[in-house]
Amino acid sequence: MLLTEEKPKIGQKYVDALRQQFGWSIQEEAWQAPDQVTVTVELNSLPSVVETLYYQHGGWLSVVAGNDERPINGHFALYYVLSVEGDEQAPENKREKCYFVVRTLIPPHQMEFPAVTPRVPAAIWYEREVRDMFGLQPIGLPDERRLVLPDDWPEGLYPLRKDSMDYRYRPEPTTEDETYEFIDVEGEGIVQVPLGPLHITSDEPGHFRLYVDGEHIVDADYRLFYVHRGMEKLAETRMTYDQVTFLADRICGICGYAHNVAYSTSIERALGIAVPERAQYIRTILLEVERLHSHLLNLGLACHFVGFDTGFMQFFRVREKSMKMAELLTGTRKTYGMNLIGGVRRDILKEERTQTLQWIKELRQEVTDLVAMLLETPYIVQRTQDIGRLESKVARDYSPVGPTLRGSGFARDIRVIHPYCAYDRVPWTLTYKDGCDVLARTLIRAEEFFESLSMVERCLDTMPEGPVLTEGFRYKPYAYALGYVEAPRGEDIHWSMLGDNQKLYRWRCRASSYNNWPPLRYMLRGNTISDAPLIVASIDPCYSCTERVTVVDVRKKKAQVVPYKELERYCRERKHSPLK
Amino acid sequence: MAEYNIKTDSAYAVRPNEAVDRLKGALLKDIQRSCYVYRVDCGGCNGCEIEIFAAITPIFDAERFGIKVVSSPRHADVLVFTGAVTRSMRVPALRAYHAAPEPKVCVAYGACGCSGGIFHDLYCVWGGADKILPIDLYIPGCPPTPPATIHGFAVALGLLNQKMKAGYHSLQDDERSQLLHPQVPLDLRIQIERAARRMAGYWHGRRIADVFLTMIKNGDPLKLSSTLQEYLVAQDDPRLSEIMGRLEEIYLAWFAAH
Repeated sequence: MLLTEEKPKIGQKYVDALRQQFGWSIQEEAWQAPDQVTVTVELNSLPSVVETLYYQHGGWLSVVAGNDERPINGHFALYYVLSVEGDEQAPENKREKCYFVVRTLIPPHQMEFPAVTPRVPAAIWYEREVRDMFGLQPIGLPDERRLVLPDDWPEGLYPLRKDSMDYRYRPEPTTEDETYEFIDVEGEGIVQVPLGPLHITSDEPGHFRLYVDGEHIVDADYRLFYVHRGMEKLAETRMTYDQVTFLADRICGICGYAHNVAYSTSIERALGIAVPERAQYIRTILLEVERLHSHLLNLGLACHFVGFDTGFMQFFRVREKSMKMAELLTGTRKTYGMNLIGGVRRDILKEERTQTLQWIKELRQEVTDLVAMLLETPYIVQRTQDIGRLESKVARDYSPVGPTLRGSGFARDIRVIHPYCAYDRVPWTLTYKDGCDVLARTLIRAEEFFESLSMVERCLDTMPEGPVLTEGFRYKPYAYALGYVEAPRGEDIHWSMLGDNQKLYRWRCRASSYNNWPPLRYMLRGNTISDAPLIVASIDPCYSCTERVTVVDVRKKKAQVVPYKELERYCRERKHSPLK
Repeated sequence: MAEYNIKTDSAYAVRPNEAVDRLKGALLKDIQRSCYVYRVDCGGCNGCEIEIFAAITPIFDAERFGIKVVSSPRHADVLVFTGAVTRSMRVPALRAYHAAPEPKVCVAYGACGCSGGIFHDLYCVWGGADKILPIDLYIPGCPPTPPATIHGFAVALGLLNQKMKAGYHSLQDDERSQLLHPQVPLDLRIQIERAARRMAGYWHGRRIADVFLTMIKNGDPLKLSSTLQEYLVAQDDPRLSEIMGRLEEIYLAWFAAH
């Protein structure tokens, strides 16, 4: 929406500061919402501008979107999205918080841009992805490997370029082998442990390599994106705006609704659609219901990985109640399919309301007992305290999100920083801890669970009247904006640009785990190999671990493949090391 | 732009031989013991994996039927493939398939596993699991619920017969599909239905509009208010009263205009 001059512009002072520092390099500013600004900068000053925002104005890197804008303005564009939250030394109420998007244009004959990663490490995965999908070369990026595209994908074919290929084009595999090169760790006695890509407990596939010296992890490297399917291309070619909401549900089997809301709000914000109050409350309720079952799942897994399988089964038993709640409110247990652009598809009437309130009471009682049981089990604390430490410094550099970040002493939750839906109208308290370890992250999830229960109660009690759906708006070509949601694992953020044919021109969706993976390497370092599955589970990753682990012993100079099952057993029992 | 390269009958498919088929038939027919299941995620969103998880935990407890999830394909009788097969997971999925001993039963699980689902024709996807492997059983759903999962396995193991029957209906010459509430004027009906959908969404909106339109159809317009009041008092739901109030307003405005 074009904003008239009187509307507040939160973040103007950052734009002014940049203009003062960089002068003519700052070319254009455009406001998509009162707290959302996109500033176009000259290509060569991109790293300095992002660095200034990141480290001097309290910025956190949320997402980087590449875009092929050649049909619109003859250039490729990059959008670095930062959540700028003001000087961390300043008092909380003095800090201006906005989404600041740094945009830069790349002429198509050049196909290069200066990498931001050497200055802001958080950009590492994003710049590798832009190289994969658009063929734009980040100059100065230390990591030359592919990130998203599979090993058997041909060189020089870039899926997201508008003129490169049809979305259905399936090139012949170029290789039958896995050609991904894991990093080399030099040193006496280091052993490699590969883990993956299939495994029993968790979800999606991923391939790990742990470098160990005896029992201690020296370093780790991982290959993910085994499940890259090409959703962004699909949304841009086959689907209409309302259909993409159903696709967004299928980004993740656990926090699908969070993606759904993030996508819908991005479109609604770009068009300036006012979503009815009641719909906003319903969205809030469902987002919190999703957090309920997601956190119970993770608490269950935490029990499982320390060998406390009774707890695991108990948490899953109780979790069914939250699944029933979702089924009652939406009609399905998982993929809710509840959003349309402009509102929701289903109201909450008395019958659902009464039953939900009843189940909340029961859940609160049952989970209180379970958490008490969990914490009274002596080895839980023993196994999780000071394990998998994510130091605040590393966390600051890599912009992790959600409980992973809040466990390292940052009170950072999108629901507070950039309130959406009804989060600024329902009172609730934010949880954070400075233990930096697995225990802190687990306890945050337990506390958030109870907060979510209260939030659902409060929303149900204070839901306003009125419609649940807005209709009769028009789509404006090439309008763009951000949508964001604090999913159970952290910030989900979507950047959408509308097209001129009832389809999205560009959709960049970033799931929360994307930001949590790069710092995982630092969490694993220095721990023993038996804690690895526990640490990986503590970021609650959206992936499925692995069937085996390659262990590389630095001292004995030999590589050994350990079945993941073995490693998981060792993590539970801590007896009979598979390395001996 | 390069030509499409869409394989419907993939050259990478595994084709079992006859002897294996006979063995498998015997396994399916005469299975007299518990069966071990290994899950292969070929590129799913986790929804299916977690529903399988839910099916083996206390509330549903598939283990009471002897269905046990194991952690290596080498122990498995049944392989469950979830998710649309992505390019990166094709080789690992084939490796898992070959690692399992014959005879084995392959299950395609969930909409994506059965057909590729919403992702069926994408560049980084080969389609459903049956594009690369011979599949014996399909459990559809997005994701299949735990009861559907257990039912699927029960069918596979011969504990239950498949509930499937075909029915055909051919349209007669004088047959017309029935409109809802034909006595209510079309423009009024549309107004009421749209308002109900805006207020209560598709599912509740449809039900509420139906109740309201039936009241209009059957009752005297002048008595509508009292009939409606009676109904709402019986229901005792403030939100329903609000929605019905809105529908009544629309009706009265329409009535006044005509």
